[in-house]
Order: sequence, then C-alpha cells, then structure tokens
Amino acid sequence: MKKIFLRSGLFFLVLGTVLLASQALMASGGSVMDRIHAAEEPVDTMGIESAHHLPVKTVLAQESYQGGTFRVLARKDSIMRFRCSVCHTDKKVLVSDGALFTHGDIVINHGRGNDRLACIACHDEKNRDFLSDAEGKQIDFDHSYQLCGQCHFRQKRDWLGGAHGKREAYWAGERVVRNCTSCHSPHSPAFETKMPATYSLPLDK
Amino acid sequence: MDSSAKKEDEMKPTDILEKKSTRRSFMKNLSIAAAAGSAGLVTGGCVSLGKSEEMGLKWEEYFKKNYRLMTQEEKDETVARLVRLAKIQNDADIQISNQEPRENVLYGYAFNISRCKGYMDCVEACVQENNLDRKSKTQYIRLFEMDSGQLDPTSGDGKYFHEVPVEGKFYMGVQCFHCENAPCIKACPTKATWREPDGIVVVDYDWCIGCRYCLAACPYWGRRFNWGQPEVPKEEMNTKQHYLGNRMRMKGVMEKCTFCVQRTRQGKLPACAEACPTGSRVFGNLLDPNSEIRYVLKNKKVFRFKEELGTDPKFWYFID
Amino acid sequence: MITNPKKGISAFISDCARWSLSGGRGYKIYLLALLAVMGAGLFSYVKQFQEGLIITGMSDIVSWGLYISNFTFFVGVAAAAVMLIVPAYILKDKDLHEVVIIGECVAVGALIMCLMFITMDMGGPLKVWHMIPGIGLFNWPSSILTWDVLVLNGYLALNSLVPLYILYCNYHDREPVGWKYKPFVFLSILWAVSIHMTTAFLYQGLPARPFWNNPLLGPRFLASAFAAGPAVIMMVLIAIKQWSKYPVDIQIFFKIKRIIVVSAVINLLMLFSEIFKEFYTFTHHSLSAQYLFFGLDGHTSLVPWIWTAIGLNILGTLLFAFDPTKCNPRYLMVAAISLFTGIWIEKGFGLIIPGFIPSPMGEVVDYTPTANEILITLGVLATGVLVVTLLIKPALVILIKFKEAKT
Repeated sequence: MKKIFLRSGLFFLVLGTVLLASQALMASGGSVMDRIHAAEEPVDTMGIESAHHLPVKTVLAQESYQGGTFRVLARKDSIMRFRCSVCHTDKKVLVSDGALFTHGDIVINHGRGNDRLACIACHDEKNRDFLSDAEGKQIDFDHSYQLCGQCHFRQKRDWLGGAHGKREAYWAGERVVRNCTSCHSPHSPAFETKMPATYSLPLDK
Repeated sequence: MDSSAKKEDEMKPTDILEKKSTRRSFMKNLSIAAAAGSAGLVTGGCVSLGKSEEMGLKWEEYFKKNYRLMTQEEKDETVARLVRLAKIQNDADIQISNQEPRENVLYGYAFNISRCKGYMDCVEACVQENNLDRKSKTQYIRLFEMDSGQLDPTSGDGKYFHEVPVEGKFYMGVQCFHCENAPCIKACPTKATWREPDGIVVVDYDWCIGCRYCLAACPYWGRRFNWGQPEVPKEEMNTKQHYLGNRMRMKGVMEKCTFCVQRTRQGKLPACAEACPTGSRVFGNLLDPNSEIRYVLKNKKVFRFKEELGTDPKFWYFID
Repeated sequence: MITNPKKGISAFISDCARWSLSGGRGYKIYLLALLAVMGAGLFSYVKQFQEGLIITGMSDIVSWGLYISNFTFFVGVAAAAVMLIVPAYILKDKDLHEVVIIGECVAVGALIMCLMFITMDMGGPLKVWHMIPGIGLFNWPSSILTWDVLVLNGYLALNSLVPLYILYCNYHDREPVGWKYKPFVFLSILWAVSIHMTTAFLYQGLPARPFWNNPLLGPRFLASAFAAGPAVIMMVLIAIKQWSKYPVDIQIFFKIKRIIVVSAVINLLMLFSEIFKEFYTFTHHSLSAQYLFFGLDGHTSLVPWIWTAIGLNILGTLLFAFDPTKCNPRYLMVAAISLFTGIWIEKGFGLIIPGFIPSPMGEVVDYTPTANEILITLGVLATGVLVVTLLIKPALVILIKFKEAKT
C-alpha cells in the first residue's frame, strides 16, 4: 500500500512540475518594456496608403519633431473674416457698422485674474494679418504655436513631442497634429464645462 | 472616404463564392441540399430560394475553423458568407475586412489623466464605431470621476452624469489594456481569444463557446458578454467592419475592445482617440522610437493599472 | 425478482432497466415528480436557449451564478466517494466495502449534474465541439478549464466503469477479478483529489479575484467536500435502509459519521483561518469577504445566507460530533441535512458570487437568480437524483442476489 502512495505522490509532483514549467515557459517571453526598449529603429509607416489624404488643409510646421518635419492643421482657413487687413485700414468707420467691426462677440478670458490679456498682447499692432510675440516678431496665424509657446512653453514642449495635443485622424503616415487653436479658443482657452456625451454603462443589466 | 482604404478593405463576395474548387462547391451544394431538405420538413416543402441559401450559408459557417487556423482562401470565403448573410438577413450592405496585422507594429496607448475632462465623447464614438449593442447598452470604455488624493479608479465614481469637469476632480478612462501577458488568453479553453502579432487581443466570436472564464480572469473588467441577441438599428450600423473587430456579434459570445482593429490596421486612430476633444488619448506604434507613445513613455512619468498582477498591459497613464 | 435466464450484456442491460423502474406506487410517484421537475427545467432551458442567458440574473459583473455555484459544490460531492473507497479498498474495511458502490453511484449522479450545469452555463452549447481535441482546439495545458474537463470526464468514466464491472460480474454470480479493476480504483482515489483540486485551481489561479486567489481554497474545497459528500451518501444510505431490503449495518453509519466529523472540523478550522486573514488586517482584498459576511455599500443580499450557512455548518458538525442517540437514522438525517445545506450555501454561491463583488473596478451590484434560472437548476438537480436512483436500484438488486447466492 505504501508503494501506491509513494507513486501517487510522485505522480502529482511530476504533474505539478509539468504544469508549472509550462506556465513559466509561457510567461518567459519577457515584458513588453524589454521589447520596447529593444526597438530602436524608426519604423516607416508612409507606405500605409490608407493613412494619407487628410480632408483638411495642413501646413508644414516651422519646428521639428524627433529630428524630422511634421504638419499642423492650417488656421487661417477657419478664421471667418481673414484677411484682417481688409477691414483694418486707416479708413474711418461708420458708427452704424461699429457692432460688426469691433469684435464685440469676443470675450477675452485668457490670463489669470485681473491680468487679462489685451488684444495686442498677441495680435500684431501694425499688421493685423499677423500675430506678434513679445519680442515683436511677426507670427503667421497658421503657426500660432510659436506665439502660445512663449508662455506655455511646457505645453509646447509636450505638444512637439506628442504628449500634449493630438494627431489628426491617423497614427501612421506623415505626422499631422492639431494646432493649439484647433482645440483651444485663443481668447478663452480653458475647456468649458458641459454635460457628458452619453450616460455611463448601466451595471445592473 | 479615401479610395485607398477601400482597395485594401473591400471583399467581392460573389467572386469568392464562385471561385471555389469543385470539391468545395460540391460539399457546399450537398450541405445546402441537406439544409434545404431539413428546412423543407419544417415549412412543409415550400422553401424559398433565399431561405435555403441562408440555411446553407449558416450550415457552412457552423463547421468553419478557428480563424487562426484558416488559410487566406478560407478567410475570404467566410467573410463572403458573412457579407451575404448580412444581406439576406438584414438587407445590410456591409464590408468585412480580414486585414492582417502590419509588420513591425505593436500598438500601445497612453492616457493623460491630467487632461481628461470626462466628456465621454470617447464612449459615444466607441459605441457608434464598434456596433455595440444598443439594447443592453454595452460600452467598452469606462470613465471614472476621481477625487484628488487617489489614483485607483476602483475608488472613483463610474456612474457620474452631470456637468463636467467638476472642480477638484479628475477623470480616468479604463478599457481593455491589451495585456502582453493576458490572463484572459490563458483562461480560454478553446483558444478563441488571442493576442495578434501587433499586440491587439482579439476574440473569434464564432469560435467562442461563451463559458465566461475570461471575464472572470480579467483584472480590469475589460470584457463584455452578449447575454441576449445584440441589436443595432440598421441606419446606425457601421458597415466598415473587420472579422476580428466590429462585425456584428451574436448572443452568447464574449466581445471586447480591439483598439478598433478595423481602423488601426489602416493607419487610423482608434475611434476613442480620434473623438477625444482634449487630447488625453495617445495612440501609436510602440516599436517606433519616433512615435508619440514612445515620447510619452520616455519623457513622462507613467504608470500602469494593477501592474503588480504581472499582466504587462500596453496602456499607460501619465500626468502632464 | 425474476432474472432473465439468458446471460450476457443484453440480458444485463434489460434486467437493470427493468429493476430500476420497478417499484411500488410511492416509487412511481417519486419518479414522476422528478420527471415533472425535469420537464419544468427543460422548458426553462429551451427558453434560455432561444433568448440567451439574458433570462438569468447574471450580468457582466456577476457573470457566474447559480449554475457554476452548484457545479462547484457537486464536484465536491462527486469527489467524496473517495472517502468510502479509501477505507473500503485500501484499509480493507469490510463494512464500508458493502456500501462503496452506493458512494460511486452518488458520484456518477453528481458528475452528471456538474457536466449539465456547465452546459447550462455556456453561451454557445452547440459550439461545444470547439473544445474537443482533434476537431476543435483544446487550450491545454494553459487553461485550467481544460484540465477540469479532462479530470471530470475521466472521473466519470472511472466511477461508472468500475462499479459497472463489479456489478456485471456479480450479476453473473462471479467475484470480480482484482487485477482487472483494482488499479482503476487506486487511480480513482488520486483522481478524486485531482478533480476537486483542479476545480479549486479554476478559481484559485485568478489574481483578478482576490477572494479566490488564496492557496487555502483547494484544501478547503477538499475538507468541505469530504464532509458534505459523505453527508449526502449518508442520506442516501438512510433512505435505502428505510425503503429497501438492503442491509445497512449500524457500523457503517458510525464510520461515515466519524469521517464527516473529522472533515467538518478541519473545514471549520480552515474557514476560521480565512475569516481571520480577511478581517484581522482589513485590506483592499477583503472587500468581497465583507460583502459576503456583512454587506458592502448597502448591498447585503448574501449576508443572511452566509450566516445561516455557518450556523448550519456548526450545528451539523456538533450534531455529528456529539451523537447521544448512537446513530439513530432520524437524528443522523437531521445532522446530515443541516451540514449538507450549510456547505452547499457556503461553497456554492457563498464562494462564487462574492468573488465577483466588488467588480475589478470596485462596483457593487447584487445578484438575484431569476425564476427561470432556479427552475433550470432544479431540473438539473432532479436529473441528478433520478440518475442516482436509477443506478442504485438495480445495483442493490444485483448485490442482494449475489449475497444470497453466496450464502
């Protein structure tokens, strides 16, 4: 009888070892971090044809991303009354047109507390078709990130790398990212509060 | 949409159904005849052609193999059958892709918990994109409203419905994390769920027997079961489908987030990442050192949820 | 009873069928009642088959319910046959050798219930061929569920073939040949331990569920099974003593009682150890236990059940331990029922459901089985009882005849 118990014990031991070994073998593939760190060669995804042809207008960014170029969504197309210089001339304005011409609809909610930004903090005082930075350098509306980045340099750094902002439509192909003003209204950049788009999942069936 | 996507995607159902070898078509006719015969018994001899075709297709579908064991030809055939069945049963014109994973691609995801505002546009987009059951209101993504001072979504409120964001709260999204060492894959008794070479954990809906062991094994509650027959109104259905992705599920099978395999394999962002208005969702190729996801991993302080369980998820949280 | 003059397999089968169905009016009513419950269960199952598992009370959070709870418990009952086999065959206990076949019949009934519960719980029962090695894909050795399928079916085969062989020999007035079945008996001992350990590993191996992810789960499964299983066998034996001519010696009850007491005490000890671990330092992982014993966030649906179970557990153990009636069948019946019910609740839904609550994302929902679900469960239980009855009836006839022939 003792033999049987000895053998059965042995049998279970072998069974257990096989089971554990097989599990260990399966788990020994190495962690995903090892795979990630081992992948040092850039991957060219330009061949993915389906990731081309964005339906929106983009411009080549005047900055570099990981040593290469990238594109940002164009801004000027979405500004309703661009070019600004059409109105901003030295011509006199009738009072009756005042409401239309003074940008009365724009509320500035940019800057902390009483330090609200003035229009000319960002817009070029002379040439209204451009923005201008603190040093007076003219900046194109399509490249407003150069202006925003003066103060929001951390966000700009993240945006250049890809930790802030977002890519447009494709993860593959040429890098196209949203401009600062694609998501943030330049005059009131904080996100508004609103109701969620949907209810969350009902848990009791 | 762009034409190139269509080129890769489109299946010509009729071509494939006709292109079969003689042996197979003989088998098919035989099975259709058998099915028609049995259907005939039920309906009393008067069988419409459409009905018998449907029975035949279903019959062949029942005996098909696990997706991973199919040859490309068999994959094309089953896709053609499914497209035809959708036409017969629902009068729906769908495209089902069986696009293979791309080489040198491993998908990864990062979620910025200091940016998310809890708008839930991602959830809505996911429901639309993935043809999630409207009847039981299935959702893959969950957002938790969290009190400051905590980082564990299990302490958050997953049922909020009020104006967001709330002062002093932050938001944290949870979905399938596509673990490299996924407990669900290990648990499945029939190998109906597996990790694709590009890292996406998928389910072969037709192979799943519905034991729900994977659901019990998942520490992230990333899986959903079809308790009843899922329903999506025809006009809301996303017709661009993938065999392993958003094609219509049936009752009694598991389903889960697939990183929108039907989109991502075409180079597109998953629906959640595209819909996010705050840019909290970063998606990309982990094997490409120039990708945004790699930038986040390298330059941000990241963490993974329940990392101590050894699941090795490919979903990181980070803070600005 | 009349025996077929011809011998052989067909005679054996026809005689067994006849004996299993013959009986008085009470027996007929009993069979009809079981069939009625099975019919109701079948009706509900047809509904579930058509509409899906949506007609049950299960949800994505509590994704296993009554079916899997009962499955888990009855694996234990099946495994418990070993508590008669070990003394009967290894320790050569004459008394228990008399009734070992009854233990095996109970095991077969329990296993059939287990397999049925699993089938009831499946979303695609028609796709079960996907799991058959060769034509399907069998995720072995990775998935513990595949191990469970193997050991359950293996144990079913062992436990039906060995008694079948013995009865077949006895039917033909022969002693069974030792070397032909003894190896399988010893194998079945190991196998009994393995079916219950494997079933425990099914839960124990999931780090996602801290309530189950506990190395004591397997041993405690065994201890509770070795208490509840013999309790079932004792109930069957009391019924046999009451309603058949088969002699059941008082010594048998005494011995089974001793087995039950030892197992039940070990079970209680382990239960205490678990409770201590959960509540001495209350961690994040103790929430399930809190839900079970005290309720969580106002959800208390299991609290009355678990305390009833613990009460019945202790009561049953005490009744068996201090038996002033010296094995009075009625007294033992009460003790067996209370212990059986206690363990059934505690190891059935007291184990399965809290594993899902709170969910991995911290949510608490209650689970209440629907009428359909309960009917299906009852139907399966009735099937099990019917199988046990239809197996034991001819077995007893053959054993009595064989004994008479010997003397």
